[in-house]
Amino acid sequence: MTQGKNIGKAILLIAVELIFLTLFAAFMLTDQIGKTIAFIIFFIFLGILFKKWEGLSENTAKLFKEMKILALVVFILMVLALPFVFQKSPYLIHICVMAGLYAILALGLNFQLGSTNVVNFATAASYGIGAYTSALLAVHFHVPFWIGIFISGSAASLFGLLLGIPCMKTKDYYLSLVTIAFGLIIYILLINFSWTGGPNGVPNIPPPSILGHSFREPINLFGFNLPFQSNYFYLIFIFVVGALLVAYRLHHSRVGLTWNAIREDEIAARCQGIDVTWYKILAFCIDAFFGGVTGTVYAHYIGFISPENFAFIVSVVVVTMVILGGMDNVFGVIIGAVLLTILPEKFRAFEDFRLLIYGVIVVAMLMFRPQGIFPQKLRVYK
Amino acid sequence: MNHLIETEKLTIHFGGLAAINEVDFSIDEGDVIGMIGPNGSGKTTFFNLLSGIYKPTAGQITYCGENLVGLPAFKISQKGIARTFQNNRLFLNLSVLDNVLIGMHPHQDSNWFDAIFRRRYVEREIKKGVKAGIELLRQFSQELADNCYKRSADLPQADRRKLEICRALASSPKLLLLDEPSAGMSPEETEELMEDIRKVRKRMEGIGIVIIEHDMMVIREVAERVVVLNYGRKIAEGTFQEISNNETVLEAYLGREERDAQA
Repeated sequence: MTQGKNIGKAILLIAVELIFLTLFAAFMLTDQIGKTIAFIIFFIFLGILFKKWEGLSENTAKLFKEMKILALVVFILMVLALPFVFQKSPYLIHICVMAGLYAILALGLNFQLGSTNVVNFATAASYGIGAYTSALLAVHFHVPFWIGIFISGSAASLFGLLLGIPCMKTKDYYLSLVTIAFGLIIYILLINFSWTGGPNGVPNIPPPSILGHSFREPINLFGFNLPFQSNYFYLIFIFVVGALLVAYRLHHSRVGLTWNAIREDEIAARCQGIDVTWYKILAFCIDAFFGGVTGTVYAHYIGFISPENFAFIVSVVVVTMVILGGMDNVFGVIIGAVLLTILPEKFRAFEDFRLLIYGVIVVAMLMFRPQGIFPQKLRVYK
Repeated sequence: MNHLIETEKLTIHFGGLAAINEVDFSIDEGDVIGMIGPNGSGKTTFFNLLSGIYKPTAGQITYCGENLVGLPAFKISQKGIARTFQNNRLFLNLSVLDNVLIGMHPHQDSNWFDAIFRRRYVEREIKKGVKAGIELLRQFSQELADNCYKRSADLPQADRRKLEICRALASSPKLLLLDEPSAGMSPEETEELMEDIRKVRKRMEGIGIVIIEHDMMVIREVAERVVVLNYGRKIAEGTFQEISNNETVLEAYLGREERDAQA
């Protein structure tokens, strides 16, 4: 009896996930503004339904909690199947890759913005430093991607440390101003240095390769010929999972708890024996490491980088993602990143208003739902 | 024998104002000292000096024979001085248990590397902390222990004060500074608070407690010695009996018989 019930539940769970992913794929595949808007309204309606109808959301949550592993496995399989669904349109896979890149950036920033309440606007700088480090190493010294990624991550961390030290002298808005200044300095330097290629950037960055398979070649999987973007899709998927694991583990540890204490009340944290300066700098370094790694992947994916890719606006976008998704909620942050990567692509027609829309999102979220779509959850210890 | 903590001519100036002016103070292990004085007389400033939030302009603070002046607040806390705050500084968006766990911060040692790569070590540490934390909460209030996963912002005022004391005790301090723990409490809650302070003394042998209070009943009940501050100076020190008959104290703070109604 219970077994039958369990199988029923499992089927229900898979069905729910399938419907969700089909909707997502269908949404991605639409190319008309009208249909896109219809989809968005439908999603918002679904969201409201879940919020108002508590029985539904509670039961769904319970279902997922009971079959955590199954839900996870099915979800991962479905995400891995996306390149097969989108094999006719590399552009969609490209969007997914970008969403993954932004997800890592946002996860990194979440250590600061979400956990510690350090509003850092220098994400683009660490992203850029990572990209330039490995790109220059690869172009001039033929350092392979797999080694470059560690070097650029470390270089970016070092930058985070350098940025963190002056920031510790300041607080709140002033700290943000320092980070903005640093971001601009890096941007201007990238334009003005001759060895970084100046405004022309760095062209011809070689793609990574595994066992002789270059990532810029189409990939053959199970008889399907997938566009070359799929290589990066799977690569970035692994990176996102890694970043997620790191973020989750840090959150559920003494370090994450300490960051939260600093966010809640710095003076009280000091009086509990917390070295606030060290923990804030740690957040800077880890965030920068994430940025550096992301930058490396981006540089080797696109094959060409220029200072424009690492302008101040990128930092603003990442901050918006964290605020939209949910501060200090690892899952929410990823949703925020995915939403804010896909939606602007879907509304290419209104590209001129992109900045305006980011502004509206931040203001609207801070006014109506400051905790983000997925609010921070209290830790529960078994 | 060394005093637990001792200050010598401790002074701090804010601009032209000497908020604490040449205060000599000492407390021994196991003592409970009450600190009273009118508003603005420098009681909280004195606590801020002891816990390292302010740096003194002049004077000495010696803790177990060791100089504390110039050390950052977190180091002082790690040495075993814990405090609560006048207006209750809990980590409001964290659970009751998390607040206590943060109190244990100085006794834990896992770092970011352990958190990412040595999961088993971290989990053991958390498990130990959770067990000790719930145990500590239970000794003060079964209710707090039962609601340990509740957001601490959802607690009533009296429970918040209790939790703040628990958080301070979680670091197993040698010296506990309580800043007006009974503020905003009803007489019954104050009664309970005094019971709690007695519990602390029994549970942690040798702990020194300094308590700032406006409620003379609390001072009379728990403090063995009372220090009176006025305009940043220590104007009197002695047992409650001595203080309540001291002319200067009556003038500055307690008020005389005929003015009791106003005070």
